[in-house]
Amino acid sequence: MTHETKPTPDDSAAVQLSARQWLCALGLSLGFAWLLPEAWTAFESLAPVPHYRVPYELSNDYWLYERWLDQLPPDAIPVVGDSVVWGEYTAHDGTLSRFLGDATGKPFANAGINGLYPLALWGLVEHHGGALANRRVLLHCNLLWMSDPEADMQLAKEQVFNHPALVPQFTPRIPCYRVDTDTRLGRALERRLEPLSWVRHLQQTYFGQKPAPEWTLADDGKFPPTYPNTYRLPVGVPLSAELPSAKRGLASERHKAWSANQSGQVNMEWVTPESSLQWQAFRRLAKRLQGRGSDLLVVVGPLNEHMMNDATREKYLGFRITVAAWLSAEGIRVVVPEALPSDEFADASHPLTQGYERLAKRLAAAPVFQSWLGQ
Amino acid sequence: MLFHTWTFFIFFIVTIVGFWALRPTRFWLHWILLASAVFYGWWHPYYLLLVFYSTALDYFIVDWMERGPRLAKPGWRLSASVVVLVGAVVVGLMAPGGWGGLAAAVGFFAVVLAVGHWLRSRRAWLWISIINNLSVLVFFKYAGFAIENLNTLLARLGAGQLPSAESLMPPGWEYVLPVGISFYTFQSMSYTIDFYRGIIAREPSFVRFAAFVTFFPQLVAGPIERAKNLLPQFAKIPRVTLADVSDGASLFLVGLFKKVALANYLGPYVDRVYGDVATQGGAALALATFAFGWQIYFDFSGYTDMARGAARCMGFRLMLNFRNPYLAVSLADFWSRWHISLSTWFRDYVYIPLGGSRVGSIKLWRNLLITFVVSGLWHGAAWTFLIWGMLHGLGLIANRGLEQVAWWRDRCPRLAKRLAVFAFVCFAWVFFRAESLGQAVEILQRIFTTGWADPQMPLLLLLLVVSVWVYQFVYESPLRGWLEKPVVKVGLAVAMILWMLLFAPAGGEPFIYFQF
Repeated sequence: MTHETKPTPDDSAAVQLSARQWLCALGLSLGFAWLLPEAWTAFESLAPVPHYRVPYELSNDYWLYERWLDQLPPDAIPVVGDSVVWGEYTAHDGTLSRFLGDATGKPFANAGINGLYPLALWGLVEHHGGALANRRVLLHCNLLWMSDPEADMQLAKEQVFNHPALVPQFTPRIPCYRVDTDTRLGRALERRLEPLSWVRHLQQTYFGQKPAPEWTLADDGKFPPTYPNTYRLPVGVPLSAELPSAKRGLASERHKAWSANQSGQVNMEWVTPESSLQWQAFRRLAKRLQGRGSDLLVVVGPLNEHMMNDATREKYLGFRITVAAWLSAEGIRVVVPEALPSDEFADASHPLTQGYERLAKRLAAAPVFQSWLGQ
Repeated sequence: MLFHTWTFFIFFIVTIVGFWALRPTRFWLHWILLASAVFYGWWHPYYLLLVFYSTALDYFIVDWMERGPRLAKPGWRLSASVVVLVGAVVVGLMAPGGWGGLAAAVGFFAVVLAVGHWLRSRRAWLWISIINNLSVLVFFKYAGFAIENLNTLLARLGAGQLPSAESLMPPGWEYVLPVGISFYTFQSMSYTIDFYRGIIAREPSFVRFAAFVTFFPQLVAGPIERAKNLLPQFAKIPRVTLADVSDGASLFLVGLFKKVALANYLGPYVDRVYGDVATQGGAALALATFAFGWQIYFDFSGYTDMARGAARCMGFRLMLNFRNPYLAVSLADFWSRWHISLSTWFRDYVYIPLGGSRVGSIKLWRNLLITFVVSGLWHGAAWTFLIWGMLHGLGLIANRGLEQVAWWRDRCPRLAKRLAVFAFVCFAWVFFRAESLGQAVEILQRIFTTGWADPQMPLLLLLLVVSVWVYQFVYESPLRGWLEKPVVKVGLAVAMILWMLLFAPAGGEPFIYFQF
């Protein structure tokens, strides 16, 4: 325990900056942090294919979503919503926005994201939907999220769900969202600071949805594991078009009517409009869009009434009336289309390709819709 | 609450603002104490009970010590006291309904205080402080290990079994190691011992003493401060200069980078290899050991850099704890650079009281071995830590012998010495990191006996570690002035900030040394 070498100065860290040097370092860091995302758009091209939607693999890439909205032509009409708008069972050219375009001759754009729900949709629009301001927006309202307390996120039991970064982190409180304060703070900051969203984009696109160091250590999921990225440079996921998927589109095995998989009707508990977290979030969302000057039209449903028993259908219709009444009272145009034929639904809420086509035609024929389009 | 989390960031801003607002008043010290309680209680409010117990005990013991004669021969009263003490513990343990452990602890505490007042000498109070502090430490840290080993022995002898440590906790209370207990216990003990030795005066203010023991930047993982360094800083309103704030922020940035960018990157690689020793090749195990050496350095020195940085921003100076240890040219040099606050603690309170270096060779070796075995056990109750400490003790003895050889002392290149010390330290880390002695032996066997297999260590990781090592080499070379150029320092700071922004993983991995 003898000291053999001369002690170096007080600090083990040689990187000891004066106040002026700190100012320089912070200025440079902030400059880089804010300029890099802008510069990146020149380096990384986004040339969306016709009927583009944000690829499934990049569903959590909100920076890409924002970029996609930003480059929409001024006359394009974004269709905002969850997987019903995005097209869970269909190819990118078999969605509602595509058929609305065909039916009206107007440029509708698919601004849906897979895995969303009203609580997350609010966060998406609030923090990444600036480009929706002062333009026509078609907003889809999927009432399935209010069909039981679990979907409405009312249960106290912890639940793992999609897009946790988009839901309200502190208020209003979501009982099933149980993460520590630090995670909430991190998520709240990430959606407010563009450089952090851009970092998330890099992770989503180039590093298998992980931070880069974690990606270099990731295994291939097999046993015994191998580590394919140890000596590899990152390869990006295509942004401008989807990778071919066997899970979606007319040729997919999943693309079939709900009755082919299950028979019989189901009972849904339904929450009340007063207690529904998702409905409250949807109301905030509609008011926010309205407040930003969006010329808003809301399409409510339709849900697959064919798979509901009588009691469930009665509650659903009651909820639907409440929703339509509230929207009308707020001066928001609303269309409530009737249910599609049974064989055009893939499940309780998602139409198949032909269902989207029929829905688009019905909407295009609705007087409210036509007046909204100015036809 | 971890330093590298948003929660701490907000806590620290609130603390700093309150501290600045209260500086003109006499309540700034109360504010620090309150902030420290919030910081520590964030983990588990029950931890506060223990730290308050340690603090109050040493505060009052030193008060009583000051009033007693320096040395009074206890004679028969000592034997009687021990009998009563053991009796109180045994009777307490017999309490029904799972309250035996608590009853024994209360009995022990009451009797020990009564004994102190009965014996009324400074030495008696010193021992009571040491016994009390170590009892708490031993119960939470070593009881499980000791009982497990004793039960193995008793089983071989065909005797009955001792109750588990968990069963001694009151009903509904969990048996968990309180974070940082080894650090604040040693810090508090050093106050009592230094007072007994006449090195420091008694601290009259309980608030000031409590703020010294619980000062949040260094409460849970050091540096283990000495009363003579930190207490006087609490005696007057700290003067905070712009240089303090910029130096503090610099230290915090470097510490944060070490933890978030380096330690947290190395950790998963080490865990992967050490978690599946049987299928790993020698190269992977050797590289993982090398990686662990750097992981624990980045993790622990990163923590202390952040602790020192946070304290400096408030005008307090905590002691240096790490000084580029992997550039050491001998093991003695290594220990003057690694966890300096602990190694000097053991030097002052164990090694020197044993006789230190001013004794014959055999006694010197004994002193070194005892000190390092105790130091190993300080890290935890496991044979692996004991062997790790013993290896360092033996290494120091061998190193002293080597220093007598002219070639080694005068002609061997410094680089070779540095690499040799690093290799030895890594060899000892195998025991520190392994789950068991058997695993440590298996790792060493495999390193030297299995053939080449791709270690699959990411090149980026290797590049980062080697860059830091090269940086440290340059820092301790004549080229150091180049590193101190403003443009280089600003460039490095920007690089660290951007790296953390771009590549740091989310989430706060805990610090390795919290488990000690």
